[in-house]
Amino acid sequence: MRQQYARRTQVLTFVMGLIAFAIIVQMTRIQNSAEAAIFRQQASNYAYELRTFYPDRGEIYDRNGHLLAGNKSIYEIGVDLTTVKDPNAIATAVSVELGIDFAKILDAIQNPPEGLSYVVIADFIEAKQAMTLQELKKTLEEQAPEGVRGPLTGLEFKSHPQRSYPENALASNIIGFVNREGRGYFGVEEKYNTLLAGNPVQVLVPTDPNKASEIIRVPDGTTLVLSINRDLQAAAEQILDESLITYEAQGGTIVIMDPRNGELLAMAVTPRMDLNQFWNYGSIYNRANEFNPAVSMPYEPGSVIKILTMAAALDSGAVIPGTTYLDTGSILVGGATIQNWNQEPWGVQDMTGCLQHSLNVCMATLSTQMGAGTFYSYMDNFGFGHLTGVDIAGEAAGRLKLPGDADWYPVDLGTNSFGQGLTATPIQVMMAASSVANHGRTVTPHALYAMVRDGRQYNVPAQFAGSPISAQTADMLSGMLAVSLEAEDSLALVPGYRIAGKTGTAQIPVDGYYDSTQTNASFIGWGPIDDPQFMIYVWLERPATSIWGSETAAPVFGEMAEKTIILLDIPPDTIRQQLVAK
Amino acid sequence: MNIQNVNVNHLVHAYKIAPWRIQRQWIGSAFGVLVALAMVATIYLDVTSKAAIAGREIQDLTASITISQQVSADLQTEYATLTSSSIMKQRALELGFRPVKSREVEYLVVAGYVEIEPDILSSAPLPQLSALSILPEYNESLLDWADEQIAMSSRELR
Repeated sequence: MRQQYARRTQVLTFVMGLIAFAIIVQMTRIQNSAEAAIFRQQASNYAYELRTFYPDRGEIYDRNGHLLAGNKSIYEIGVDLTTVKDPNAIATAVSVELGIDFAKILDAIQNPPEGLSYVVIADFIEAKQAMTLQELKKTLEEQAPEGVRGPLTGLEFKSHPQRSYPENALASNIIGFVNREGRGYFGVEEKYNTLLAGNPVQVLVPTDPNKASEIIRVPDGTTLVLSINRDLQAAAEQILDESLITYEAQGGTIVIMDPRNGELLAMAVTPRMDLNQFWNYGSIYNRANEFNPAVSMPYEPGSVIKILTMAAALDSGAVIPGTTYLDTGSILVGGATIQNWNQEPWGVQDMTGCLQHSLNVCMATLSTQMGAGTFYSYMDNFGFGHLTGVDIAGEAAGRLKLPGDADWYPVDLGTNSFGQGLTATPIQVMMAASSVANHGRTVTPHALYAMVRDGRQYNVPAQFAGSPISAQTADMLSGMLAVSLEAEDSLALVPGYRIAGKTGTAQIPVDGYYDSTQTNASFIGWGPIDDPQFMIYVWLERPATSIWGSETAAPVFGEMAEKTIILLDIPPDTIRQQLVAK
Repeated sequence: MNIQNVNVNHLVHAYKIAPWRIQRQWIGSAFGVLVALAMVATIYLDVTSKAAIAGREIQDLTASITISQQVSADLQTEYATLTSSSIMKQRALELGFRPVKSREVEYLVVAGYVEIEPDILSSAPLPQLSALSILPEYNESLLDWADEQIAMSSRELR
């Protein structure tokens, strides 16, 4: 009996052992089969996900902390084809909410390209519309019977950031825009694109929670603080728009800069563009340089250049303010006759009178007296023909022909002295004139006030581009310009403040000849002259009510200067002098 | 005395060579190994499950941070839109304000007054995640844990 049990036990043990062995063999076989290798490969494909973390694009603020460019969430709406339940319901909901063709959506869901498990129905959808659809999906899911999926199952929402410009068209020429691919165009968006965009980081993220590791922190793009004053910019744009109507001008530019450090406070141009609708760019502008004429469109500035000719003459010692000459109304330079703006003689004039009456003959006399070498050396030092280095994309250098150039003629020495025959952008003229306003030191204009990165602010220091004239010459010339404006009772003057400035009226070349009926009217001025805190440049293209800068650009300057004084809290000269005295 | 010793030795010898005793020794040893393995497996399972939960929480929190940042950016942009230059001007006009003229502005000389400089525009420092901020329980292996425990015990003994 005992032996019988022992035998049974042995048989049972053997059978159990055999079964266990068979299980182990089968396990081993399955583990090492070809199918297992495929499954392992498939599993490893899903074990890690290569994710690219794009940093949020840095914001752009004005100097007082007003947001000029930020980011907002928009949505991509798609359908997960593996979970979709009712394509008709999805097509109906999306077409009603987003206004997309029903048949098109239905076709995209029912006839997707081979191998796709997710199709995009719409992208760049505003958050409000996406939220409405999300709410509808949720409501329908709640209303569905227990255990039954809602009819919008499969409708998916993926948010991603997009550039947003709260001020719409304000300062559009300075800011530029970012397209849907995230690349900056024009303005500081293009100039500082790399800084603003930051560096995307690619990371292998494990899908297995057991392998969850610390996710790398992607620093946001650098935030920029511009030197622009939003309220001053808005005022400049309003004044410019009104002046185009008042003087029936075809276009215009107003630039305001702090001549002490080159900070651009405002830069208004026409036309402007709502940056939130950047796709309208092609219908607004014909050429890229129209986006910001203040830095991209060189033109013959005319008599505003007389400031610099006089600066060169005074600094080189060719003349002093009291030097007189007899104006006969014309002068022969390089075989061509140069006349005054009114083609009349002005008799004996001193240098202040030259500026006051804007005499071409006087300026041609000065340039020929200095000689081409001295005159062009000063013009070169003032920066004509060179880029200013302003940190706004698309800057053009203008053209200053020099002796030795194939297209330079001796008459150019005469015409260049009063701003014809050379081209410059408003920002170039301002940079050159800053040496007069800033006691002989030329400032480099810039729009960037500071950068904020990783919680730290880095202020941009003022940059000086040289000292083409002495401080004595600069202060002397500022005084002469102020006197000339006061003697003319210029429309540019602001009561209570001493302003220095000069008008410019430049005929526009048409078919190779200057057309006396079409002009560019300009004015450049700064103040208060004992402590200049603003420099304003006004350029009106082809004003129709009057061709003269003194009757169009000068009053626009006066209006802009008054607004600037209020917004920058600059007390009248008498009050400031009391403060200085204390 | 001798007879007694012989009996005791006999009993001890009999006990030592008893077949059931050897079987029990084997069973006991096998059972001990089984219990040890079960303990190790239990601890491993416990630590693994905790790590998995923590990992999932990290993923959820990361997603929450991203969403919060998006919401914050959206609100900031919306606020900027609501306080944009054109809207503020419109609101001011509706409230009966008008732009001031330079002649209407009165400046007073106040002795000792120092103009307030605008605040430095600077965003708050971002939280710096570092390895130290994550508890070791969330990223150390079972062997690491055992090693640390042994090291800690030896330190205490010293």
